[in-house]
Amino acid sequence: MLHCVNMTVLERQQARSRKCHQQDQDQDQDYQRSSLFDVFSSSITMDGYDDSSLHMPIMPPPAPAPAPSSSSALSRTTTSITPRVATSLASPTLGKKRKPLTQKVVAGGGGAEQQSENKKDKKVKVSGEEDSSKITEQTNKEEVASAENSKGSSEAQNHKPDYIHVRARRGQATDSHSLAERVRREKISERMKYLQDLVPGCNKITGKAGMLDEIINYVQSLQRQVEFLSMKLAAVNPRLDLNIDDLFAKEVFPACAPNFQSIGMASSSDMSNNPAAAAAAYLDFNSVQQLVSCSNGLINNIGMSMNPSPDMGLRKTIATPHSVSLPETFLDSSSCFTQALPPSIWEGEFQIQNLYNVAFDQPRASSFPPSHPFTGLVEASNLKMEMEM
Amino acid sequence: MRNQEGSSVKEEFLRKWIRGLRRYSCEKKNMSFLERKKAIKLSADLAMASTRDKTIRWSQALIANAASENVCIGSSSAPKKSSRKKKMMLMRRSRARVKSVKKEMSSARCIAKRLMEKRTRKLKNLLPGGESMEDGCLVEETLDYIQSLRDQIEVMRSLLTASQLIINPS
Repeated sequence: MLHCVNMTVLERQQARSRKCHQQDQDQDQDYQRSSLFDVFSSSITMDGYDDSSLHMPIMPPPAPAPAPSSSSALSRTTTSITPRVATSLASPTLGKKRKPLTQKVVAGGGGAEQQSENKKDKKVKVSGEEDSSKITEQTNKEEVASAENSKGSSEAQNHKPDYIHVRARRGQATDSHSLAERVRREKISERMKYLQDLVPGCNKITGKAGMLDEIINYVQSLQRQVEFLSMKLAAVNPRLDLNIDDLFAKEVFPACAPNFQSIGMASSSDMSNNPAAAAAAYLDFNSVQQLVSCSNGLINNIGMSMNPSPDMGLRKTIATPHSVSLPETFLDSSSCFTQALPPSIWEGEFQIQNLYNVAFDQPRASSFPPSHPFTGLVEASNLKMEMEM
Repeated sequence: MRNQEGSSVKEEFLRKWIRGLRRYSCEKKNMSFLERKKAIKLSADLAMASTRDKTIRWSQALIANAASENVCIGSSSAPKKSSRKKKMMLMRRSRARVKSVKKEMSSARCIAKRLMEKRTRKLKNLLPGGESMEDGCLVEETLDYIQSLRDQIEVMRSLLTASQLIINPS
């Protein structure tokens, strides 16, 4: 569409030029053309336009001025006119107004917007033209006014990463401020969408206020969890000594680094034959095998898989509920839980499974004495986790 | 967004956290329960914050706050109190200002605006260093903060279970 407009303007102007000018003026035009090319080839690249197409409309600007005698006068008019032509053609917001504008342009002088674009291009050295001072003044003002964005022009220049170019949609305000506002709002709503995915339970809520409420609650609950966990850790470690961790920190991570978040088969054979590795195995972040089916809907599951160390002389299997995920219930259950693990149960591989995992379905679980008190726990915790999630 | 780097972030966090904890344990033997808890939480928070870029604001604010308050686990928290007092004063002043403005407006839109302002203020208070952020930035930072908190909680939980297992069966 723009091309059509281009061509009509161009044709008009070319026709005029052919009528009014003879060779001298043609030469003048050529001169002007070349100088204009210099000025504008480096500067304005239109959205979707090639440089060549841009320069076509710029070419015959001297034409409209019927008897521009001096080249300087010509240059003056051309510089003032052509930017306007260029940008009026470029700015999509003008839409249907393009034609009348271009015609106006023929008569009028340089406008502020174009100069602002020129300035923004930063490549326009309005070489030697008288308007340069005027232009810079105006561009400075314009830049200050629309510092954030060059929305008014919306020239998509690939080599200009400083400004965000936005097109105003049809029927919307083209004010630079409202455009900026709109961009900001769209940014925020995009981020809110991400947050919707992150915060559980936000899918049904539309509207920023409700979402914000949910987000606030979630952040508060996360912070509380951190507090609680640190309290528990303080209770567990009487002396804050984590030397074992030091050992495994070096050994575990290279071995299981890629497996932190994988829910899948527990690898296990890596760690063995090493007391440090055995301790290290405690913090192997692989999740456990049989839980895949159960834990499909659940996100933050860290199952642990442990490997027996022959040095320890114990081969342990515990199908235990991973009750840590529910701090409150865990607080109650932990004492009875840990006491209730009789060593006689140990057999096979030593595994810690998730709470949700229907660990009690396993055959071994039947031999697990405290299973009954835990079923109640499991249900309660399941409920809680559902609420949480 | 951060899924692929998730595991490495957690590793880094864990390592830093343990380093910090060890430093605490070297400095002070026989810390009380509360002291230990504070040490653990502080080192965890700092470790998590340090895994984030310098461009992320909440982490920098968290570290700066901890540094400026000179949080000593065992000693009294006098500097903390003063900073807290200042914050309270500021908040009271800002609330007073907002209230006076509120009395003038009463249309539905203003009510909605008020609600939003309330909530954004709440969120800003939750987020470390959030008071000086504007809306767009705030949402981004909240996103990042939530993700970091989740990672932190995961790691802490696994450490907890691990240490419990280490201590109890053996």
